Amino acid sequence: MKSKRIIPRSFSGILVFLFLIILVFLIIYPLFWIIISSFKDYQGIYQDVWGLPDEWHFENYTRAWDRGISQYFVNSIIVTIVTLVGVVFVASAASFGIVQLRGKLGNIVFLITMGCMLLSPQVCVLPLFMLLRSLGLNDTYFSMIFPYIAFRLPISIMLIRSFFVGISKELEEAAVIDGASLWTIFSRIYVPLSKPIISTVIIMTVYYAWNEFMFATILVDSSALRTIPVGLMVFRDGLMTEWGVVMAGMVISCIPLIVIYLFMSKSFIRGLTAGSVKG
Amino acid sequence: MKKLILITLVLMLSIIPLFAGGASEGPAEGQTEIYFFHRWPNDPKNSMFNALLEEYMAENPDVYITMDCILNDQYKERIRMVVSSDDVPDVFSSWSGTFAEEMIDSGNVLALNDIYEADPEWSGKIASASVAGFTFDGTIYGIPWSQDGKVFFYNKAIFEELGLEEPETWTEFIALLDTLKANEYETPLAEGLVDQWAVLHYLGTILQRMIDPEVLASDYNPATGEFTDPMYVTALEKWQQLTSYMGEIATAIDHETARNTMFATGESPIMYLQFAEIPQLEQVLPEDFEYGFFNFPAFEEGLGDPEALTGAPEGFMISNKAENIDACVDFLKWLVSPERGAILTRDCGDISSVDGALTDETALPEQAEALKMIQEASFLAPWLDNACDAAVYVVFGQGGQAIASGDATPESVMVQVQEAAASIR
Amino acid sequence: MLTRKRNFGAFLFCVPALLILAVFVYLPLFENIIFSFQSFTLSAKTREFVGLDNYKALFSDPIIMQSLFNNVLYAVISIVMQVGFGLVIAAVLEDVVFRKTESFFRTIFFIPTLLSMTVVCLLFEFVYNPQMGLLNSFLELIGLEEATHIWLGDSSLAMLCVIMVSQWQSYGYITMLFIVAIQKIPSELYEAAIVDGAGKLRRFFSITCPMVRQMFFVTMVTTVVGAFTVFNEPYILTGGGPGTATMVLSLHMYQTGFVKNQMGYASTIAMLIFIITAVLSSIQFFSFGKEREGDR
Repeated sequence: MKSKRIIPRSFSGILVFLFLIILVFLIIYPLFWIIISSFKDYQGIYQDVWGLPDEWHFENYTRAWDRGISQYFVNSIIVTIVTLVGVVFVASAASFGIVQLRGKLGNIVFLITMGCMLLSPQVCVLPLFMLLRSLGLNDTYFSMIFPYIAFRLPISIMLIRSFFVGISKELEEAAVIDGASLWTIFSRIYVPLSKPIISTVIIMTVYYAWNEFMFATILVDSSALRTIPVGLMVFRDGLMTEWGVVMAGMVISCIPLIVIYLFMSKSFIRGLTAGSVKG
Repeated sequence: MKKLILITLVLMLSIIPLFAGGASEGPAEGQTEIYFFHRWPNDPKNSMFNALLEEYMAENPDVYITMDCILNDQYKERIRMVVSSDDVPDVFSSWSGTFAEEMIDSGNVLALNDIYEADPEWSGKIASASVAGFTFDGTIYGIPWSQDGKVFFYNKAIFEELGLEEPETWTEFIALLDTLKANEYETPLAEGLVDQWAVLHYLGTILQRMIDPEVLASDYNPATGEFTDPMYVTALEKWQQLTSYMGEIATAIDHETARNTMFATGESPIMYLQFAEIPQLEQVLPEDFEYGFFNFPAFEEGLGDPEALTGAPEGFMISNKAENIDACVDFLKWLVSPERGAILTRDCGDISSVDGALTDETALPEQAEALKMIQEASFLAPWLDNACDAAVYVVFGQGGQAIASGDATPESVMVQVQEAAASIR
Repeated sequence: MLTRKRNFGAFLFCVPALLILAVFVYLPLFENIIFSFQSFTLSAKTREFVGLDNYKALFSDPIIMQSLFNNVLYAVISIVMQVGFGLVIAAVLEDVVFRKTESFFRTIFFIPTLLSMTVVCLLFEFVYNPQMGLLNSFLELIGLEEATHIWLGDSSLAMLCVIMVSQWQSYGYITMLFIVAIQKIPSELYEAAIVDGAGKLRRFFSITCPMVRQMFFVTMVTTVVGAFTVFNEPYILTGGGPGTATMVLSLHMYQTGFVKNQMGYASTIAMLIFIITAVLSSIQFFSFGKEREGDR
């Protein structure tokens, strides 16, 4: 191939290139600005919007962490991990069941799970709120975890099932002849072979649970249980004019997903595009 | 996949120490537990409560107080839910007026007359106007601990320079705003209307001053509210007139921003503020900034009492389901006292409702003056969002915003209010 | 007999999923349908049956019309900006001219997708801030003082400003979906077209567009469903204000239920959202199912 150049040669090519650069700038600059401003104090941000900090307030980060972000961070990690374990286990078991079921039953179960995809979470939030209250689960981690698992199941089952369907039957048949139980077939054959699709599901779920806002804001009241997306709002209301600290909190909250993205951007992109349904 | 497991492991490991450090202690054997629920998760109040509770528990080793708190609107929603259930907190904070009535209607709030009468030395120190906010049909249901009032704060230097005086009537007030505008104060009145409560604070006072008190009381009652009196439109017209002095920017900023970047900088000479905001204001004011305040001016055609002051007292209620009522009462008596009231005013700026809490050492001269205004007011009118049903005040809030941004007329807003009132009647 | 026992065993694997879905998805949906015919408050112990009153109220509620208008505006702009524009950018990036820089652009464009909506909204509060915001400062910097606005405080601009926040966040994601789809197109098709002397535009319209039509369809429905359920952006940025200028269906539902304390009517609004989105998603559901099967 001839074109090894970074900037295209043709006039229209240069125009398009410039346009892309502007797009990059529109995305990068606000993020860059947040990072810079998170080291400023209120006066520094207000009076000199564009400039670098006169004095680097690194303590904004420790203040943000001590003033509540640490608690929200822990909550987010707990909720995300429990949701993750729940989704992976329940979805892969269900997918396995669906694949193993003979007759119409498998299709019925699959349809029941897929039917949930027609439903947006907004529709369920009022009754869920009342339901969780009557179950005594309101204001616990579970008031986030259960709805999260429920609304991640359909897409996860869809992906895992279509992968399970493609697994060659030879190993399974050999195992059946050896008298292996369904559980053995599931845990020794299907799950180990499905690592790629399970990692996709993991990424989708982590992304969803870490960023989910609506359920977390409506279903949870206690400040002690808030996850990062909701906590940041409280954080902003509470800190009033300490913008630098608020922005430090924003930066901290983005770090985990950015780190995962940088480490493994390929599987991350595969994970988020596989469902074509963003959380 | 390996990377993923690794990252998960690292994340899990990283939270273990956090858990270890975060474990909270509960009540020990034989301790009386009090579950205390309030609405101030923010500093400085939160730190103050933590310190006070620690002090109290050190003095009373047989009592253990569990404290939980969430911010304003969520607090309202949550306390409404729990107060009628069996989970009602032993001690909780409440506004006065209709909100208090709603709490009392649950049947779970303890009547306190005996406790007030049994200890006149303690109860005599509590401002009676504030106790009135928690008294219904002669029964006292709450212990007030702070009082507040909303008045126009003004920049003394600018007023002196232009030879202006505190206005007493609406006409004088408008003339004063016009004078300021003519003297290049383009936005003589600072306000941030992004916060709907800021709109509601204004409207509450305007309605109280304008509407016949009996009509207003009947309309604020969800069972009888109609809002058909033609004076309501007049009242909203006054609001519309007022917003023309707030500048276009008012609908794009919040109350704090307006206070810190317009009033404190001298760009706008007047702002409608709560006494409770004095400490935050002091933080951002320049050294030589002097401010005074005056009550909302009287409407010439108004039927409400112009001597009233908007700003309901707040206080605490005790559940009659509490197993340890005596411990709760002892705790509140300790909390609502000159010593702790002084700490409240010194650290948080709220005007304590206990006599003798405000001294030269604990309070600023402005706060002393504020207390005087509260005491001289004919009565304390509740905030609009404590006075009527949410279905109605939300419409007032949205409508007030829309009037300010030029998208609605007083007439159209009142039609919506009437519909909202009809829907809950 | 053995099959039946085995089937029972297999069914046990599905039980946890079915239970969770029944309790946390189907039961709430079912309850919501019942609630929508009732009138009650959050703390109420009894619910009053009011028949079709709530549905009648739906038609005379001016905020519903305002919300629907805003949701539709959201959908239209999102289709043009994300789906239309995203496809073009994806095609441009996949062009051989950008071979060296494609992964750089792609990585950058995808970053906003990683941020939580709260972070993005708080960021845009600083962008739109009328006093020191990035947008107004920038306009002043380049000498366009008259173009400065109070953005979120201006009822005629507020909705557009809110919508732009979503575009900023989601646009890279949709582009990425198209890139994935374009990469699946066999390169022989393009090579043959080049031999035939087809220009870039010609190749875009006669090869790229038809080959990604499935993805086009999927993104279209996803975007539109997203536009009709949007909650976070207006909730965080404006709370529906000024007035009700940025009110959308989900936010109206939330305010009616949890602020105005009219749970029955709020459930009726939820039903409206349900009907709109269920119709749209079922279109996607069936097309998506086909595509998946086609992939195998």
